[in-house]
Amino acid sequence: MPSFFNTWLPFIYLYGVGGFCFFAGMILIRKLKGIDMRQKKHRFWWKVMFFGYFYFMLIHALLIIAALYW
Amino acid sequence: MDRLHTMGTQTDWVVMIVYLVAILLFGSYFSKYNHNTTDFFFGGRRFSWWLIAMSILATGVSSHSFVKYSAKAWEYGFSSSMSYMNDWFFIPFFMFGWLPIVVYSKIRSIPEYFEKRFSPSARFFVTILQLLYLVGYIGIGFLTMGKAILPLMPPSINLFGIEINITLMGLIIVIAFVTGAYTTFGGQIAVLFTDLVQGFMLLLAGLMVFIIGIDYVGGWHAFWNLLPTDWKLPLAHFNKPSDFNFVGIFWQDGIAGSVGFLFMNMGLIMRFMSAKSVNEGRKAAAFNILFMLPISAIVVSGGGWVGKAMSMLSNSPIPANTEPDFIFVVVANIIMGPGIFGFVIASLAAALMSTVNTLLNACSAVYVNDVYGPIKVWLKKKQKNDKVDEKRALLVARIATVAFTVLGVLAVIPFSSYPTVYEAHGYFHSTLTPPLVIAIFLGVFWKKFTPAGVIATVIGGVSLMILGAYYPGILISPFDYGTPMDPVHPYTYIGALYNTLVCLGVGVIVTLLQNQFISIANRIKKGSSHNLIIVTMIVLSSIIFSMVVFNIGGVQFLFIASLFMTLMISLISTYYIKYDPVIKTEGLTAGSIHRAKELFKGSKLNEREGEIVKVNWKLREDDEDLINLSNHDMKKMYAEEGDLVYVSDARKYLGGLKSFHSRFGKPHNEEGIIYISREHLRNGLLIKDRPLTAEKEM
Repeated sequence: MPSFFNTWLPFIYLYGVGGFCFFAGMILIRKLKGIDMRQKKHRFWWKVMFFGYFYFMLIHALLIIAALYW
Repeated sequence: MDRLHTMGTQTDWVVMIVYLVAILLFGSYFSKYNHNTTDFFFGGRRFSWWLIAMSILATGVSSHSFVKYSAKAWEYGFSSSMSYMNDWFFIPFFMFGWLPIVVYSKIRSIPEYFEKRFSPSARFFVTILQLLYLVGYIGIGFLTMGKAILPLMPPSINLFGIEINITLMGLIIVIAFVTGAYTTFGGQIAVLFTDLVQGFMLLLAGLMVFIIGIDYVGGWHAFWNLLPTDWKLPLAHFNKPSDFNFVGIFWQDGIAGSVGFLFMNMGLIMRFMSAKSVNEGRKAAAFNILFMLPISAIVVSGGGWVGKAMSMLSNSPIPANTEPDFIFVVVANIIMGPGIFGFVIASLAAALMSTVNTLLNACSAVYVNDVYGPIKVWLKKKQKNDKVDEKRALLVARIATVAFTVLGVLAVIPFSSYPTVYEAHGYFHSTLTPPLVIAIFLGVFWKKFTPAGVIATVIGGVSLMILGAYYPGILISPFDYGTPMDPVHPYTYIGALYNTLVCLGVGVIVTLLQNQFISIANRIKKGSSHNLIIVTMIVLSSIIFSMVVFNIGGVQFLFIASLFMTLMISLISTYYIKYDPVIKTEGLTAGSIHRAKELFKGSKLNEREGEIVKVNWKLREDDEDLINLSNHDMKKMYAEEGDLVYVSDARKYLGGLKSFHSRFGKPHNEEGIIYISREHLRNGLLIKDRPLTAEKEM
């Protein structure tokens, strides 16, 4: 069985530090009014951006589980 | 290790040559759409998202190429895919920060943004870094192309009785000649359309190698079971070994690389500038990262994964002397029949050419806009009329493309010392991107960031980065997360963290001390010997920077001297640059995008979302940049006189090739009819009796 350094630590670091950058970006564009939630298109993109973060997180988690247990 | 030679058959060579010639002819056909430098560089800002997405794919896939990812896939397994799956973190900054600013501020290059946002001197320093970045990228592209094609060549050829040895560098020179010629005459529209074809071909070729390869080793289960568990993990070991570890690659690729690619890769930015609107650019970016990059990860690494599985077979067909950079070509040669192998290699070479084309095009755009243009203004050369000026600029662009091709070939020399293209590219990213990335990032998202801050980031940051390269064991090791230091190529990846931190630190500290710098600069100005003080500081800064570059003095002395130099540079910049933060941030920071749109439009915004109408066109006998639609159609579009409109041939598959931007003029009463000018007809390349669609922009 590969070590924690090879399996979940990179995953936690990726979505922890990467997530910090991502959510900082989401907060910043909201605060600076780069995204205007009154516009339908912008509301769509807001959802797509959240979806993208969890989509990649899910793909990586599934791939790690597949490598370890499949 | 001995290099492999003479792979493939005559059929493969025929297929390759036919493919490359067909692509060249296809690209040349679209060169007729270049009327001016806007078309040549930006494709006229008219294209649909799917065309831009495919074009980005061809650039992205080939620059993060088959060669380098297959090499790491062969050595380390599925974790080679991680570089393709870590680009989403900066998408909010890009989609709702940088992209709208780039489009609405109407800049033609990234350095031009720095002049608008800060000062001409900031533009000057950024231009130098931008050109270094682009030329380095071209060098990586040529090196990769050479490594992809070299295994197919015989060790030597006999030409008119003279025996010529085929070397990597010789091959690169020939490739550079063909690529340079194509870009010089094609321009951005040619690049975009050949990319569309090449994007499909690349996906097809990569997937073919992966699927046929799996079949070769006995199907999916056999393939999966042949691989060790470590090898199936999608992320590399956290901090080992030095040539491939997660944390280093996260900072080099996930942070510096992703931000660099999205924010400062002029080739990519030009792709987004070719999109018909900001929203189309967002669609292209999202589609590319969410769907195309995961597929691309399989496409580019598949050869290496299959190669590894093949090497686990009892009678492994993989030669023992195979270098990692050649594994893709070796695997393709083993599993593909004659002709198909030629097709795979041709698509690979063509795609790599596409990346280099884009970068050459970007280089000449930066040269024309940021070197030739400002020099011309400085010399106050009077032009007789605009048309002559455009022709001249186009000629300069073409000459610049040739010059940058030569520089790109020279840039191959330092990169060829790395064991694989992956490491060369990694080092390149971690070294050249941080100063520009930080400068752009702080410029866009921090209103307080000043010209002194940006110049200090570029000069002071680079100085501290050079010191890091000379003394990695002292300066970079505190940030290395336990990654081992390779004495030959120290901290290839994690160096990006140190470089990013020093540039960020310099930029932030100098900006926070701005009031103190202003106060000192004012005191110097009031003194009688102000010129002497400033000249002394300039001379001292130059001496210190030279000492850092040539590593004269110990690390402690040079580090303190660099900090001292950074303070002097900040003071000099504050002394010389007249900076009005209100004017210089208007429409140029993420906090003023609404204002940027107003400036772009030239009047108040109308953002009510209306319908897209289908209309037939009639010609007006003037060249005024206005279109006229019926009252009824304008009502459906929620459009008013003076609003911006995008008019396109109704055939969606053209992707906006036949289209133009204009403004709404006075409405008429002929429902379903649009009146356009002769200039619109010319620019939009419209065809008689073909219906159009009209879409209100803002």
